[in-house]
Amino acid sequence: MDLLDWARGPLLTGAIAVFVAGVGWRLFCLWRMPPAHGPGAPARHAFGVIDAVAASLTRMVPRGGFRPSATLVTVNPYLFHVGLAVIFFGYAPHIAFVRRLTGLSWPALPDMVMYLAAALTIVSLLMALLFRLSDAVLKKISSADDWITWTITFLPLITGMALVSEPSAATLAHEQAIYRGPLAIHLLSLELLLVWFPFGKLMHAFLVLPSRMQLATFFGRRGVHS
Amino acid sequence: MIDRDVFHGFLEAIHHLPEMAQPAPLSDDERVSRAKSVMRAKTDRGLALDLEACVHCGYCSEACHFYQGTQDPRYSPSRKLDLLRRVHARESSAFAPLQRLFTPDITVAELQAWQELVYDACTECGRCSMICPMGINIARGVNVMREALFEAGLAPLELMAVAQEQAGRGTVFGVGPAELKRTLDALRAQGIAIPLDEPKADIMLVSTVIDVLLYQDALAATARILNHLGLNWTLRSAGFEAANFGLLSGSETLQKAATKRLVDEALAIGARTVILPECGHAYPALRWEGRLDNGDPLPFEVLAVSEFVGREITSGRLHVTPGEQGRKITYHDACKLARHGGVMDEPRAALKALGMELTETTPTAEKNWCCGGGAGAFLINRAAPLRHKAWEIKRRQIDDTGADTVVVSCASCRLNFMAGAEADQWSTRIDSVVEMVARQLPA
Ligand code: SF4
Ligand code: SF4
Repeated sequence: MDLLDWARGPLLTGAIAVFVAGVGWRLFCLWRMPPAHGPGAPARHAFGVIDAVAASLTRMVPRGGFRPSATLVTVNPYLFHVGLAVIFFGYAPHIAFVRRLTGLSWPALPDMVMYLAAALTIVSLLMALLFRLSDAVLKKISSADDWITWTITFLPLITGMALVSEPSAATLAHEQAIYRGPLAIHLLSLELLLVWFPFGKLMHAFLVLPSRMQLATFFGRRGVHS
Repeated sequence: MIDRDVFHGFLEAIHHLPEMAQPAPLSDDERVSRAKSVMRAKTDRGLALDLEACVHCGYCSEACHFYQGTQDPRYSPSRKLDLLRRVHARESSAFAPLQRLFTPDITVAELQAWQELVYDACTECGRCSMICPMGINIARGVNVMREALFEAGLAPLELMAVAQEQAGRGTVFGVGPAELKRTLDALRAQGIAIPLDEPKADIMLVSTVIDVLLYQDALAATARILNHLGLNWTLRSAGFEAANFGLLSGSETLQKAATKRLVDEALAIGARTVILPECGHAYPALRWEGRLDNGDPLPFEVLAVSEFVGREITSGRLHVTPGEQGRKITYHDACKLARHGGVMDEPRAALKALGMELTETTPTAEKNWCCGGGAGAFLINRAAPLRHKAWEIKRRQIDDTGADTVVVSCASCRLNFMAGAEADQWSTRIDSVVEMVARQLPA
């Protein structure tokens, strides 16, 4: 067994296990905390779960009424979130990888779109790093989690880009992976991300909906659009 | 008319508040342990979610008047919850045993440093939550921090003094039933009927120390409107104070006691409605957080006076005569009344009925800037320069409307506006919703 066999086999299984167990444990630990005491007063407007979900989704749209900032640009986080999603779900070799694991597959996006998305995402993540290093507020509130998470998110992008030397169709046509070492490194970087996921702020992917719903309900019952 | 001498006397009294406080002599270890036990007890599922969800994006700073006024990154809203976050990480989070290896415990020096952050530099206005992409309720976390600091004997002396007075003597700034009666007698001498301590009434009106001492016109205006509508109402000496210094200082016990005084009186007279004065924080404290002893919802309706007046006008029960034409007014939403209370449309409906030109500030309503004086911040002497920086944002916002009058519906905001106006020689008129409406009651 070479490194790629390890990365594709036991290490991947282990990373997925840590990811699933870790995320599950973290969510369970939150859920087992004592519930916030129930709302006492009658609501100004009825505000149910559907309203809360709707409010959570509309919170994705940037709100007017706040000061624009030179550095905390609103657009950058959209870029890397969308970019990462497009790269992971749209690139043919990634879809092939998911199909091998789960049997699920879907049509891929053209390679050119992927290259563009990857380039934009890399620039956007570098910008996010630059902001964090240069903005006084971000410097003050950043913790080890922020630096570790940035690095661990950036690694799969870089190691993945290092692999791209031919069209994805050609890559997929090979019986065997040709760059076994670099592919192993790429997979290991993904596994690192999966292992880190439950421990740091990547968890926001799972927390964003309940957290927004909670706030939307708090304000919504009071008749306030949040 | 506002008596400027009383206003200055009030400011003077605030200067002397620290001398009246009786801080508990606690060791450093006791302070840390008391603070942590409050943090532990208050970290429920909702707060834990808020503490864990922050992605450190810093957007909340864009919304906070204390950060925007100073550009000091210490005042970033997210940071105000750091100590809570650390205690939760070490003690109740999913990976607490691991977290303890990397997360230092909180210290008394940090608690002392956070006093400024959660009292002077946060009015619990909730504006940061409006922009936070994760939807974190920072104001709630700040309130828990205040409770922790209060228990640790580390609340600012001014708030500690008023809270202790309200808990001990039942008065605020020396105002109790006797002072209320004196004010009512003075208003009655002007021909305004004001029922006090009626054994039964449909409506219980609540007042507040600032109205009893300074904004007596607001109290008189409310009485005139209630009388004009022919309603059956009363004030109660044993439950007339809307201000809740338990809530502001961080004492949950006192907060509950202050709420209970109002609730008990309302129940005793069989009130169907409790009308709160122009006092921002009193509204969410009773309307949204008030409960019966057994935890049940209150069996009566709670309305802010501006909400009541707006509702009466909209329903057609209350008519007003057209006011001074050509007067250009703007309305300042008190954070606790609007963003945290949902009272936004009713005061506007009342003002529109007055026939003046109402221009909105930008932003407005639930996104409005805080004036910087809420949640007890106005009482903290050392915070005056910081408060003024926050106020400057508010002042610019009002100036940009071109209005000659800013109308408020919270006595705390009004005090802060008056202090800001005096410091800046600001000539914009500061008025109150209920007083403006009462001035235009048909003869
Ligand atoms: S609640 Fe208001 S004052 Fe407090 S941190 Fe948020 S924006 Fe600032
Ligand atoms: S805006 Fe919300 S997620 Fe971002 S730093 Fe502030 S509290 Fe945290």
